[in-house]
Amino acid sequence: MSAFDAIVVGGGVIGTQAAYHLFKEGLEVALVERYDIADGTSSHCDAVVLIGDKMPGIDTEQGYASIQRFKEIVQEVPYDFEFKVRGLLYVCETEPEMEAAAGYVADQVRDGYDMQMLDTKDILAREPYLAKDLIGGFWSSADATLNPYKLCYALVNHMRAQGAKIYDRTNVTGVLLDEKRRVKGVETDRGTLLAKNVINCGGAWAPELARMAGCDLPIQPRKGLCLISEKAFPICSQKVQEFGYMMSKFEGINFTRNVSERVARTNVAMVIEPTDADNFILGGNREFKGFDISAEIESIQAIAERGIRFFPILREMNLIRAYAGVRPYMPDHLPVVSEVDNVPGYYIAAGHEGDGISLSAITGKMIAQLVTGKPTDFNIDKLKYSRLQKGGKSIEQ
Amino acid sequence: MNEHRDDDVLICRCEEVTLGEIREAIQNGARTVTGVKRRTRAGMGLCQGRTCERLVQQILRAELGNAPEEIGTSTVRPPVRPVSFGSLVGDEGGKL
Ligand SMILES: Cc1cc2nc3c(=O)[nH]c(=O)nc-3n(C[C@H](O)[C@H](O)[C@H](O)COP(=O)(O)OP(=O)(O)OC[C@H]3O[C@@H](n4cnc5c(N)ncnc54)[C@H](O)[C@@H]3O)c2cc1C
Ligand code: FES
Repeated sequence: MSAFDAIVVGGGVIGTQAAYHLFKEGLEVALVERYDIADGTSSHCDAVVLIGDKMPGIDTEQGYASIQRFKEIVQEVPYDFEFKVRGLLYVCETEPEMEAAAGYVADQVRDGYDMQMLDTKDILAREPYLAKDLIGGFWSSADATLNPYKLCYALVNHMRAQGAKIYDRTNVTGVLLDEKRRVKGVETDRGTLLAKNVINCGGAWAPELARMAGCDLPIQPRKGLCLISEKAFPICSQKVQEFGYMMSKFEGINFTRNVSERVARTNVAMVIEPTDADNFILGGNREFKGFDISAEIESIQAIAERGIRFFPILREMNLIRAYAGVRPYMPDHLPVVSEVDNVPGYYIAAGHEGDGISLSAITGKMIAQLVTGKPTDFNIDKLKYSRLQKGGKSIEQ
Repeated sequence: MNEHRDDDVLICRCEEVTLGEIREAIQNGARTVTGVKRRTRAGMGLCQGRTCERLVQQILRAELGNAPEEIGTSTVRPPVRPVSFGSLVGDEGGKL
């Protein structure tokens, strides 16, 4: 039986970052993943690290802090994960969208972030292949991209080279607690691992792991689809998304888009980004379909349709691959990054929905701060597990 | 060493991935066709692995000696052949 200071369960972006930051603090760390590293949602997603898709306040604050942390990690880890600050361009189709966008940008600028409204001429100067009838948009300069599974591999290869224990193809089947409900370790299909701290980084599967420690977690899988183009000349040079994306992500924003039934039914909003390999990733949509990650033809068609609406040149380009993943969705749109009060030593870092790649660096850093008893970079009371409980009882979904 | 003198041989032509790079991916934990694909891009090209997948399977088997079921095939992802975005859209979006 091996004993560690901390066991991180889950080899996605959140788990590898948590393990890396704990390891950097000098702890004996074991990272346990039931399949291969990055086999979960972290290899079935886009690649952007954004602030411009976050709500003003802690959501954006975390996103910004994460981007700054990524810039340091690039220097610390000798493996490339294609991190680049490219910026983000939003485009609007209608006046109500422009008004909503202007309100959003004003809030973010007041909090000190670099964003600016653009007119048709400005957006076409940035992206000449955009449809000519769009009425404007906005630009956010701090936003970045990276390759999520390369990030996982980079952190794991680096840790392994420094002597950290990586248990891939090892399924966690139980959590060991003592009589005071303090964490003692985990049970796996390959034996027992002991540690006083266990961190649940199970993404959309985190509720199963939480149940092993007697905790309820209301995370649900929220499906999304991506289309990959053939290698082609650069039709866009940064992340571009339609403002309607905000509406597909957050339920609270009210304006109606002029879209086909197919696009409305599949909850599609155009997002496109160039990759390092000269392909494009075109998305995206959000749907609740359980853990099914088949790529349905109707959703593929709707994404293609919406893509062509904003980039008419796509019509002639080829799609070579479509894939789907499940985002770990939290009903209040904030992840849980917290110790569980009545199970000392049991931590949860999960529920990042469509922002897990973005937030992974800062989440990993703050988990290491929580576990080692240091103050976190900023106040994260809003991310506490206890917010889900009322009067000591957990809320059932 | 002699054993690795053929590390420069090109295995995936679409993405220009060599035997040496695939061996390195296996050293770094790849155990399946998908694991090799994500670490090297072998199989992510225009032909989507039609040319290189069998070779990747053979290399995995040679390096690890595991059974075909464990190595797997890469997940078949639609569309099976490249297809233009325009032709997908059909009626609601314009000409086929
Ligand atoms: C289509 C799509 C596009 C997206 N685009 C973006 C984007 O552009 N930017 C962004 O920031 N986010 C994006 N996201 C969201 C992002 O992908 C996720 O938030 C993130 O990958 C979640 O990471 P994770 O580490 O929490 O979960 P995962 O990557 O799913 O990792 C969890 C891991 O835990 C393992 N596990 C589960 N149970 C056990 C067990 N019992 N024992 C051992 N291991 C176990 C799983 O095998 C898995 O590998 C997108 C998501 C989708 C679906
Ligand atoms: S030869 Fe490997 S993808 Fe075509």
